[in-house]
Amino acid sequence: MSLETPTPTTDLATGIEPLQGQRYWRSLHEYAQSPELVEKIAQEFPDYDPDELLGMSRRKFMKLAGASMALAGLTLTGCRRWPKEKVVAHNSRPEGTMPGVPETYASMFQRGGVATGVFVTSFDGRPIHVAGSPLHPICGDPARYDGGAGDLKYGSADVFTLASILGVYDPDRSRSVRHFTGPLDQRQADRVDWAEFQRAMGPALAEGQKIAVLSEANAGPAFLDTKKRFLKRYPDATWATWEPLHRDNEAEGAKRAFGKPLRAHYDTSKAMVLATFDSNFLTDHPASAKHARGWSKLRKTCDQGKMSRVYAVGSAMNVTSSNADMHLQVKPSTVAAMLDALAVELGVPGVTAAPTLTDPAEQAFVEMLAKDLLTHAGESIVVVGPSQPAGMHALAWSINQKLGNLGPDKTITLTETSDDPVLCVDAIASLTQQMAAGEVDTLLILGGNPVFDAPADLDFAAALENVGVSAHLSLYEDETSVRCDWHLPEAHYLECWGDGRAWDGTICLQQPIIEPLFTGKSAIETLALLSGDEAVSGYDLVRRAWSAAIKAGQYDVQASAWPGGPIDTSAERRWRAAVHDGLLAGSAYPAVSAVPGNASASGLSVSSNVGVFQVEFRSDPKVYDGRFANNGWLQELPEPITKVAWDNPAWVGVKDAGSLGLKTGDVIKITVDERELEVAVFVTPGQAEGVVVLTLGQGRQAGGRIGRGVGFDTYRLRGTDTQGVSYSAKVVKTGKSHPIATTSIHHLIDADRLKHDGTDWTAAGALDKRVGKKPGDEGIIVKQASLDRYKQDLKLPGQKSFANDDAHGDVSLQLYDAPLAKQFAQRAQELMERHPDAVADGWMPATQFNDKHAWAMTIDMTACIGCNACVIACQSENNIPVVGKDQVIMSREMQWMRIDSYYRGKPGATRNFKLDPDDGDVMDAVHMPVTCIHCENAPCEQVCPVAATVHDTEGLNTMVYNRCIGTRYCSNNCPYKVRRFNYFDYHSKLDSAQFRNSGKPGGIANNPWLKFPDQEPGDTIDQIRRMVFNPDVTVRMRGVMEKCTYCTQRINRAKISAKAQWAQDKTAGKPVDDYPYLQDGDVVTACQGACPTEAIAFGNLNDPSSKVSEHQNKNKRSYKLLEELNSRPRTQHMGLVRNPVKA
Amino acid sequence: MLIGALGGGLYVPAVVGLGLNPNTLNKGYQPEQPIPYSHELHVGQLGLDCTYCHTTVNQAAFAAVPPVETCIACHNPGAAAGVKKNSPKLQALYAAYETGQPVEWIKVHDLADYAYFNHAAHVTKGVSCVSCHGRVDRMGEEGVYQAENLSMGWCIDCHREPEKHLRPPSEVTNLAWTPLDDAEVIAAIKAGAIKAGDEDAAQLLVGTRIKEQYNVHNAAYMQACSTCHR
Repeated sequence: MSLETPTPTTDLATGIEPLQGQRYWRSLHEYAQSPELVEKIAQEFPDYDPDELLGMSRRKFMKLAGASMALAGLTLTGCRRWPKEKVVAHNSRPEGTMPGVPETYASMFQRGGVATGVFVTSFDGRPIHVAGSPLHPICGDPARYDGGAGDLKYGSADVFTLASILGVYDPDRSRSVRHFTGPLDQRQADRVDWAEFQRAMGPALAEGQKIAVLSEANAGPAFLDTKKRFLKRYPDATWATWEPLHRDNEAEGAKRAFGKPLRAHYDTSKAMVLATFDSNFLTDHPASAKHARGWSKLRKTCDQGKMSRVYAVGSAMNVTSSNADMHLQVKPSTVAAMLDALAVELGVPGVTAAPTLTDPAEQAFVEMLAKDLLTHAGESIVVVGPSQPAGMHALAWSINQKLGNLGPDKTITLTETSDDPVLCVDAIASLTQQMAAGEVDTLLILGGNPVFDAPADLDFAAALENVGVSAHLSLYEDETSVRCDWHLPEAHYLECWGDGRAWDGTICLQQPIIEPLFTGKSAIETLALLSGDEAVSGYDLVRRAWSAAIKAGQYDVQASAWPGGPIDTSAERRWRAAVHDGLLAGSAYPAVSAVPGNASASGLSVSSNVGVFQVEFRSDPKVYDGRFANNGWLQELPEPITKVAWDNPAWVGVKDAGSLGLKTGDVIKITVDERELEVAVFVTPGQAEGVVVLTLGQGRQAGGRIGRGVGFDTYRLRGTDTQGVSYSAKVVKTGKSHPIATTSIHHLIDADRLKHDGTDWTAAGALDKRVGKKPGDEGIIVKQASLDRYKQDLKLPGQKSFANDDAHGDVSLQLYDAPLAKQFAQRAQELMERHPDAVADGWMPATQFNDKHAWAMTIDMTACIGCNACVIACQSENNIPVVGKDQVIMSREMQWMRIDSYYRGKPGATRNFKLDPDDGDVMDAVHMPVTCIHCENAPCEQVCPVAATVHDTEGLNTMVYNRCIGTRYCSNNCPYKVRRFNYFDYHSKLDSAQFRNSGKPGGIANNPWLKFPDQEPGDTIDQIRRMVFNPDVTVRMRGVMEKCTYCTQRINRAKISAKAQWAQDKTAGKPVDDYPYLQDGDVVTACQGACPTEAIAFGNLNDPSSKVSEHQNKNKRSYKLLEELNSRPRTQHMGLVRNPVKA
Repeated sequence: MLIGALGGGLYVPAVVGLGLNPNTLNKGYQPEQPIPYSHELHVGQLGLDCTYCHTTVNQAAFAAVPPVETCIACHNPGAAAGVKKNSPKLQALYAAYETGQPVEWIKVHDLADYAYFNHAAHVTKGVSCVSCHGRVDRMGEEGVYQAENLSMGWCIDCHREPEKHLRPPSEVTNLAWTPLDDAEVIAAIKAGAIKAGDEDAAQLLVGTRIKEQYNVHNAAYMQACSTCHR
């Protein structure tokens, strides 16, 4: 059953009056209490049709029964319960390795020409998990890492980095060199080897041939070195760099302001006022990890009564605006006008006239912002997003200069950059022109997918026909590959040596963790092969470029010309240190001081020619520019704002949906400069009128079974002049529809008792949880307050605050005592005696399940930005399957973590501040990560008939897969809706795409379960795909319930290793503690490790000095979700504090 | 007919019950190995310690099977002093050494994939090799066999009463050790607290002491699901 948005009416557009008080809602369906939603909630397991089973024919039953008998027979006649396993030991075990003990290696991951540091976990030679590097200047913090002794064990990582591990084992990756011949519609593809390709390229690269190279951005020494050699070998060759998600406007803006393309580095940890103009600097920026961490520092200080303030203007909600204290959504052209108005308001010299702001909200926003910026001059940042024109970027520099934000110790530092000085769009436009004119004989495309993502008006595909010989290096046989003469398999980044530079310029090293699985080569190896370089292996290429860089402490491609001769392998010690760290410490770009030139207004030019609709292009938060389209984890990830999985619908605001008669899933036709696209709609709360937001990268036609056919190819609308925004577009309704899978209507907390008639007292009770009991109440799921209100709370004694002023307190009175109640009470007593000072200071140990440790977690909603990193980290760590779009529509997504995004206010509103005290036209968003919160008094445990979910003595609500029989009672009884059921052997599908939209009417392949192709035995999981599994976590089968385990495997690994060492020391007679307790930080859960804002803390409540003890015992914002149920959660949430301007 | 039905009613459960019994399925399992390695010779007669080859047992979950180069250290085909270097039994080893293709041993003690046994956790705290693997020092060229049924019930027996099986960690690889060798037991026998030769009482004395000394957890902790299942 697919849910449709309630028919939009003026009611919805202006907002149905909330029933009572402040009402939180997660979707428009919930807001309007659509009957479909109510029905869906009433069904605990939606779209599960027991009639399918009851209606089974006798014949079918006999068939099934026969199959079971045959299987049983096999079991009995077989002499063993399971197949023989082999122990294959090393011939010679590498020094320092231990079979079965995972190792961590530093490497790097490059995206858009910027490198991120990673720590890769390798288990017996196969990489299984990627985490951020704590040593990396952007995603980590070298000062806090300190060789493993510091408190930072992992750097943060974004969803792309975390999910990149799945790409190594993607069976759809190309496996050999292919030679394509024949016309496009009957393409012949021969499998050949690299040697044959090299031979064939001989004449194509001969003297007199016009050679062109199109490559992805890369600033690594080895890459630049190899490039230089290639261009020396073929002096007439041209080189173009193309990244579809380029930052051309930024570079051009800086060039206009400073005379050269400087790179900006924002220090958000010093910025008390942050103003973003259509920028999502928290998640969609090469340095967003650093931005988010710095930002969170000045958010967490709310506990000391001090907090930064974020202003966000944009066309639609994004991660940054959903976390902003003040946000306003306007058309992209108005964003430009508002920046002009701000410049005028601030008195930036050179800007005198600004376009008139028509809306009083826009004017009020600019005035408030200007006032705040002036108050915090020198400790503020004004940042403009990459889709806005260069003029705005230049103007932002003048504004920042005026505010005194530029300078070495200020909030914004400037450095040089080694980016290609030619803008991406110019580069590909001029290359395409040459190609079309027949001026390119040989084209070498290194990575990327230009046929798919080049500006649509260039028609790169047609130009490619005029090229003599073309070769394309890529991970997949994609849209570009099949149009070239040669396809070359690219090595995955974890399979080859390489390098790159971080956003701050630090030179990063890409160390392979595994041999190439499918004969792939890296870009530098391919270049070296073709330029007849004496070095051909990736290692040699990197090593020789790095020798120069190591010696100089920097890298200058002009200066370091490789003289020839044997590869320079000196500086071995420092090279080894670089391999160990994954980077060359201290090689960041030096800061430069620059003053922007004369400013000029930019808004007038863009606002002069605007249409009824404007289209904004954004990077896709799941597939980036399309390169991750075949990554099932990312495809199934709910988008941060709309929670849409497996799609990229066009976002349309509530008011536009009303006037066009659109509901979610309706298909519209968008026309931009004569180019047309039909795309489904998602009606998005908070979006400005007259704006359609499109994300790029979906709608792939080739390049793997998972990504093919998912979503809509929005690149077809994006021309050279409309890379960021099209200010004039046409939108019409087509009358077609397309099913959309959104999880915003799934797993509603404690809503299962909501009854149809609405009179049931339990229904009222469930509603109260969101709405509050009387007008003005906040409800009790999301706890939110303004900084002003929280400052009042801070004056109160004890832990009372907005977050827990309705607290019920634990009801320790039970029908019967827990079996070990006495032991636990005794243990708590002991702990209190051991730490009298801490007790006096307000600390209490866990009173139950406290032997030896008492594990607990806190999730800080003030710090959480809703970026989804934790969701993917968890999926990677815990072998969580991908289920496919059809199953997601049926609420069967398996991710153990979800981020509930609540909205409050009116969906049609476009701002979160009131113009006057009676103004009700406001809306706001809140992100709340929810996973199993490990109730001490767990409702799930009480209903399991087979005791498959029970507590251990340290407070973990354990899930015993081998005991579970799949009644799903536990999920039914879980008020938090955090349990996930394996309806099928999702892992054993050779291709999860089989679960994808089947294209049937309605789009849902809800076949009777007997027709599902999972009757194969469970061991048919693809041999390559299974290599990604974490061997420390059981791979669950069909019919088994699962949920968050607090990463029990990580806890046990840490405990066992500490205890084994302790016991060995004791046996050896060394002095030891009385018990090897784990210290705070010894166990880092996957979600915690990935979080860029350190919003998740995990640790031992028995330890008074642990972070969780501090949070749960002393922080006023800590509260227990649905405390009134007396479930006594071990995971506590910490209330959200925002810092709006007082109305 | 009735008798037949009754008989069937008994026969089927009996066959299924016995057939699926862990003792039937697992105990005594002795697959043929690619090299007829004799623990009896190396450990029983020559006195090699278990950890000479299974080096990781104190630090890792797996008691890793040694790499080929460990064998080659003594049986070096190229060295004059290479032990038994012409023996036909070692040909598979030499083939592996020369080709780089590792020896494929057959796993004997194979737990279910959802059970996470950890050698280091047990061995460092006084659970002897012999408790699970039997007298490997008496298993000859015909190969190692499974001495215990390795069922969950069997594991839990010890997790409930570890004192019945613990010994000083220094003695875990001494497969011939009995609690009667323990100094405290000898003293207790001398003092008359334990009857001479009462191995059970002696074990209890030693086990309780080790349990105390090494902070072995209480039964509730040891039987928690997360102790073995992840």
